[in-house]
Amino acid sequence: MNPKLAIANKITHTKLVLGTMLLLLLILGILSLTLGAFHIPLSKVGQVFMGDWGVGENLNPQEKNVLLQIRLPRLLLAMLVGGALGIAGAALQGLFRNPLVEPGLIGVSSGSALFAVIFIVFGSSFTFLSALGKFGLVAFAFIGGLLNTFLVYRLSSQAGKTDISLLILAGVALNALAGALIGLSIFYADDAALRNFTFWSLGDVGGANWEKVWLMLGISFLPIGLIIGQYRALNALAIGESEAYHMGVDVQRTKLFILIGSALIVGTAVALTGTIGFVGLVVPHLLRILYGADHGLVIPGSFFAGAILLTLADLLARTMVAPAEMPIGIITAILGAPFFIYLLINVKQIRA
Amino acid sequence: MLEAKDIQYFILGRPVVNKVSLKLKAGQLTAIVGPNGAGKSSLLKLLAGDYKAGAGAINYNGKCIQNYRPKDLAKIRAVMPQHSQLTFPFKVKEVVELGLLSLGLAHGEQLVMEVMKETQTWAFRDRLYGALSGGEKQRVQLARVLVQVWAGTDQTKFLLLDEPTSSMDIAHQHQVLHIASQLKRKNIAVLAVLHDLNMAAAYADQVILLKEGRIYQQGSVDEVMASQHLEHVFEHPIMVRNGYDGMPHFIQSLPVYQQNRTYKIA
Repeated sequence: MNPKLAIANKITHTKLVLGTMLLLLLILGILSLTLGAFHIPLSKVGQVFMGDWGVGENLNPQEKNVLLQIRLPRLLLAMLVGGALGIAGAALQGLFRNPLVEPGLIGVSSGSALFAVIFIVFGSSFTFLSALGKFGLVAFAFIGGLLNTFLVYRLSSQAGKTDISLLILAGVALNALAGALIGLSIFYADDAALRNFTFWSLGDVGGANWEKVWLMLGISFLPIGLIIGQYRALNALAIGESEAYHMGVDVQRTKLFILIGSALIVGTAVALTGTIGFVGLVVPHLLRILYGADHGLVIPGSFFAGAILLTLADLLARTMVAPAEMPIGIITAILGAPFFIYLLINVKQIRA
Repeated sequence: MLEAKDIQYFILGRPVVNKVSLKLKAGQLTAIVGPNGAGKSSLLKLLAGDYKAGAGAINYNGKCIQNYRPKDLAKIRAVMPQHSQLTFPFKVKEVVELGLLSLGLAHGEQLVMEVMKETQTWAFRDRLYGALSGGEKQRVQLARVLVQVWAGTDQTKFLLLDEPTSSMDIAHQHQVLHIASQLKRKNIAVLAVLHDLNMAAAYADQVILLKEGRIYQQGSVDEVMASQHLEHVFEHPIMVRNGYDGMPHFIQSLPVYQQNRTYKIA
């Protein structure tokens, strides 16, 4: 084969895969806008966005409201959070050189959750904190996530390589600690804080509004870009930290970018939607099985695939038991936990 | 030129590399030999920039190693590790292409193909790295680091190999060292940690004999690969027959039961 053609082919292949995922995401999004406890026909969804082509059907304000104030922000939040969790999972797996890493499993999410709870419970006691509002919640969740990421890294790595079993154990330990401290915080919570906490902990993407969408988009935009920009460094890191350094990668900088970026987007996601597990574990894996390990595809692909997965999960959550709703975390866990078991069984092959 | 002057490296207060000075010049293959624990790998890691020397200085082309950014250092020196495991299912060719990282991508494909053919890895370019045998993996890693230094430039480049032949069969060992010695024509200096004394004798221009972190002998094969030096360093009877008619030195260690009969440990 002509060598130049081969490179071109590879780039086209990546674009093709990513394009297909984007298309799938759009179709799923439109589908998700029409379906639900309150059915809105496709033609009317089109009308809201494209304007009236004289179809003749009258759009009533209730439909417009459901669509623009409830369903659309919810859809966008699901996409953004799913994408964020997917890309954070992929980047952390690459950084830890370990396919079993997931923000939830290794305790990043629970660290975020703990700090979010601390903010909810104790924030109202300090006026300067409560004045921060949602930003304060996000900032606390970010600090908690970052703290746990560093702790897990310290606890589980020896000579620049993380040990799979140590990593999982470190996650178990940190999850247990965070759980205990969350319990302790709740013990001291007053009624108002308790109610806030309950809403937050149940809070899946159901509580979406435009403010949350803009917050998620605003905060995660830059870190996601930074992480995607590290794909070559992550490819090199797959061979090893010193090898990556030999190839010219500034390993410390890459680590910093990915740890802080992941903590930021996972923290924001947790602050806005509660902990949603397993997306970051399942998504990068499926992509590697389907398209190989090149992070040039796996990292941006994990964003799209995570968005697709969470949109799908949210659609199921809204429609399965309509008019009631199932928390989305239950759905991702039901899908993800068996997948995790499957990964554990196959861990020897993964290590190759 | 790569120049190390009086470098030291300590682990728990013990000098693992002790006042080592050496020069690597373009067009030379230097072999580091010595018993286990002599500090061979540590010396290589110091030169590669993985470890920071506790004392002394390392200069690449006249510039101190600490003044290089990782990216600039990678443009002039490549390092082949002893073992490499991959966590993710990369294809062989993708692994080799990682060598392009420091170069930018122009004409990468041609370069990768050339190097992979040279290292006889082109035939299994689309297989998964994890499914290869130990020797095949080493050749793939060699191809990866060769890509990094293959293209000619004005600057002298350096290739550091840590036991590059350890899990290869005889033919591939020779093939690898042959490639390494061919690189000498490319304005590249090669340094290899070698276990096999015969391989070192057959291919090296300069031999560094290490013992307990210090250089015991340094020089040409004729000077260093002498029975009395090797026996002292390895503490084992070793017989050396000098090469003639283009044949390399022939180095034979003797079985333990022979020791008292003909040879004494120096």
